[in-house]
Amino acid sequence: MIDLRPGRWVELAGIEPRARWTRRLAAFALLAVGLSSALVWRLADLEIVQGPSFARLALVNRVHRVPVVAERGVIYDRQGTQLVINQPAWSLAVTTVALPPDRTQRDAELAALAGLAGMSGAELTARLAIDSDGYRPLAVLTGLDDNRAQTVNERLPRLPGVSLQHVAIRRYVDPDLYGHLLGYVGPIDSEEFKTLKGKGYLPDEVVGKSGLEAGLEDLLRGRDGWQDVLTDANGQVVKVLREQPPIPGRSVYLAIDAGLQKSVHDALVEGLRKAGSKAGASVVTDPRTGEITAMVSIPGYDDNLFAKGISEADYSRLLNDPAKPLYDRAIAGEYPPGSTFKMITGTAALQEGKITADTQLACPANLKFGAWTYWNWAHYDMGAMNVAKAIPTSCDTFFYQVANLLGPDTLATYARDFGYGARPGIELPGAGAGVAPTPAYKLQVCPYPAGTPDCGWNVGDTVTMGIGQSYVLTTPLIQAMYAAALGNGGTLLRPTLVHQVTDGAGKLLSSAHPEIVRQVPVDAANLELLRSGMHQSLTGTWGTAAIARSLGFKWDGGAKTGTAQFGGTGVDLPSHAWFIDFAPYQNPEFASATILEGAGFGEFVAEPVAVGFMNYYYAHRTEIHSGG
Amino acid sequence: MVRLGRLHLLDRLQLLLAGMLLVLGLMSVYSASPADFRKQLLSLLLGLAAYGVAARVDYRRLERFLLPAYGACLLLLLVVHFAGHSALGARRWISIGGFPLEPSELCKVVVLAALARHFAVRQGAERSLRTMFGAIALAVPPMILILLQPDLGTSMVFAAILAGMLFLGGSSRLHLAGLATLAVVAAPVVPHLLHGYQKQRLEIFLNPMSDPLGAGYNLLQARIAVGSGGLLGHGWLHGLQGSLGFVPERGTDFIFAVYAEQFGLLGCVVLIGLFTGLLLRLSWAASVAPDRFGYLLCAGVAVMVCFQVVENIGMNVGLTPIAGIPLPLISYGGSALVANLAALGAVQSVMLRRRLLVYRDVEALDRHLLSESGTVRLDPGLKHPVGAVASGDPWSA
Repeated sequence: MIDLRPGRWVELAGIEPRARWTRRLAAFALLAVGLSSALVWRLADLEIVQGPSFARLALVNRVHRVPVVAERGVIYDRQGTQLVINQPAWSLAVTTVALPPDRTQRDAELAALAGLAGMSGAELTARLAIDSDGYRPLAVLTGLDDNRAQTVNERLPRLPGVSLQHVAIRRYVDPDLYGHLLGYVGPIDSEEFKTLKGKGYLPDEVVGKSGLEAGLEDLLRGRDGWQDVLTDANGQVVKVLREQPPIPGRSVYLAIDAGLQKSVHDALVEGLRKAGSKAGASVVTDPRTGEITAMVSIPGYDDNLFAKGISEADYSRLLNDPAKPLYDRAIAGEYPPGSTFKMITGTAALQEGKITADTQLACPANLKFGAWTYWNWAHYDMGAMNVAKAIPTSCDTFFYQVANLLGPDTLATYARDFGYGARPGIELPGAGAGVAPTPAYKLQVCPYPAGTPDCGWNVGDTVTMGIGQSYVLTTPLIQAMYAAALGNGGTLLRPTLVHQVTDGAGKLLSSAHPEIVRQVPVDAANLELLRSGMHQSLTGTWGTAAIARSLGFKWDGGAKTGTAQFGGTGVDLPSHAWFIDFAPYQNPEFASATILEGAGFGEFVAEPVAVGFMNYYYAHRTEIHSGG
Repeated sequence: MVRLGRLHLLDRLQLLLAGMLLVLGLMSVYSASPADFRKQLLSLLLGLAAYGVAARVDYRRLERFLLPAYGACLLLLLVVHFAGHSALGARRWISIGGFPLEPSELCKVVVLAALARHFAVRQGAERSLRTMFGAIALAVPPMILILLQPDLGTSMVFAAILAGMLFLGGSSRLHLAGLATLAVVAAPVVPHLLHGYQKQRLEIFLNPMSDPLGAGYNLLQARIAVGSGGLLGHGWLHGLQGSLGFVPERGTDFIFAVYAEQFGLLGCVVLIGLFTGLLLRLSWAASVAPDRFGYLLCAGVAVMVCFQVVENIGMNVGLTPIAGIPLPLISYGGSALVANLAALGAVQSVMLRRRLLVYRDVEALDRHLLSESGTVRLDPGLKHPVGAVASGDPWSA
């Protein structure tokens, strides 16, 4: 029953209410339809009209071509002893796109990162600014060892976009022996990058900075590959889509023999110690091929310091060391050759017809040219002699006269024929050219205005040039090639440090073959006179190099000592001790040049060093030449 | 109890539209963040339960619980304010038995119902200023608490609900115009009240390319995802922008971008079509609601869903500024899903009872029968024909 009392609820079922569309409700419904239409309109624009360009953008987003750095080539000695190792290490890298998008957070993180990497914020910003590809982890600090990487790793979770990447750093096996020779690599600096960018270098790649690492850069570098990778939003690689594997750098087998190198090094160190000198250099070559089988410059430096990224303190210590350890004396040290130059003077005089094999010239204690008196090393008259005897006795006054007959320009021409005044084409940067001086040269280097008497060439300059003083300069490398040319009958060879080159798989790509710079334009008979003089010097009882016999040198060859004064003109000046040699006398296979800076007499100081490693050479010559 | 005989009054079209949207939502959540799928499924079960309960309970009986519910909401928001979990720099969540709860989502529905009740109670005085200020006074406190979290997006939803209720509740045109003018005048002040990141979002909206790798990144990446969808999309689970993480907040705020990348324009038209259908159906529900409260309840739900859909999709395609608003029924997030389904359930509650005319007294019944007799018709499916009137409170029997 229906309770119809007032105030009670009454419900009536079964009536379907009529839809009451008020104006406002209808307006709302229309608005909803209108807004939906607007959304669809916008979507049609985005997905259809602009769709293709967004699809491209999406692709750019996800697929990136990431360069894969090729492993740097390994360097061996001629027997295959590894001289440098690609050691696995870590680099601290930044993937720009994965940094926090919020500006303040990003700045805070970069500041933390700079602290972690031990660089200033500005330095870090500059480093990051080099790269245009934000998707590739860009190394900001490299060469971290496992311990360092571990400590860095602990902080990474709070540094999104920062990662540790595998890298290889160069470890030089024996920096004492090969520091100068191999040099080092380092990160490209912004100046270098500008020029190297064209060759496909990456802004955080390492590049050879000095020594063979720089000289053989193109061989060692290899060709970088690439990968097209699918990345997620954090730059993490999800999948490799396509790749071009990198081609590792070439393996280079040096002409250097590790055993000989060590023997040269040890002998030089011992010789320097005995002479109380700090610096010296030796270069050993094969007169048949021009291959450099040993090359040492002392003092050296630890190139591993550079490979890891040298500290400011270490670098300034090396730079400010008065002994200049960074300076490779073997190729860049320019010294007067002293008496080792006399073979050039002698050859020139014979070839120019100023003297013959039989011409006897006096060898007094001194001679006057103009107003000046020029002394022999021996302060007594040694009697008249021919050129073949003037070499082993090293008579200065004999060569004063000969030089005076020749004049400086002719003498300089012959010096150039033997390699003076031109950079030897060795695979090392920074080789010195030496000087074959002429009057024009003196004028050019003269610090005073032209016309000043001091700038004019005088007879003193000519006569002292005959004994390798005056303005003559040479380097140990030039001297070694000069000794080789004397030994092999007048063929000046291009020095080379590369014996063989193979690809990463060990396939032989190229082998050293002798490159002749020139055949020195001297008659064989004339050259032979000088060679016999050098032979006498080494083997004759009165030769200046005769001390070799007492040092255990039993073989045959030719040599010349030199005691080159430096630091001005006059008497009782300090002198560099020189020794050049070739062996054996016929068809020599060994030639070398050695200098000990400011150490005194060539025969007493430099010769024992050279004889030391010559003895080693003879004891091991079959092994040395068996390589390759 | 709803008698079985009444179940055919259920708005099956609404159920169908919402069901299809829920399926698309599950697919989107699965593709965007598979790890969250199970939780979302669980939330869906909870939401469906809420839907059922809301439909079964007589919406008119809600009236007496609204005040306590409103108070509880404010309390919850205060709890969040002082003890909530923060994420992304805002305190929005509290833990209820290990489950994260976002009270602001539930508050939306409660405030909506409270506003509906407010207008229903003040029937006849809709146009008065007092009604309007009463409504504002109801909506503003929770809005401010949510703004302080800070959650600009959800408080914007409150503002939209308030505006919609004022409009549909019958405030005078003059007052509405005045309020709108006030809003326009106050607009320039807003940037000064915004937090840093909110200001940045606004700037980025105005010029998205100003910082493509920074703050504009999200927007740009979302737009790239949408744009790369093309006509047909990449197919379900083949959207790379989404799965590789380029699209930010891809399970929640930017799930539409993930969806659009996979299903293309065609899929978007289907999705927006479903939403539009749902909105029209909710408007229709409002139009057939048997009383003022039911009408406002349905209309309010429609406004709430409409604003969220338009704002969310709008920001995904770069038409509206970014605000952290989930896409109803689609986005990952339990609280929002449960709240939205409860709101739709409440509309069903109105629908189930749309043929019940309740009168407080016989005179009202008389008036009705006189005025609307033309619309009264027989319903063959009903056990009680017209005129068979139950007394008392038939739903409690």
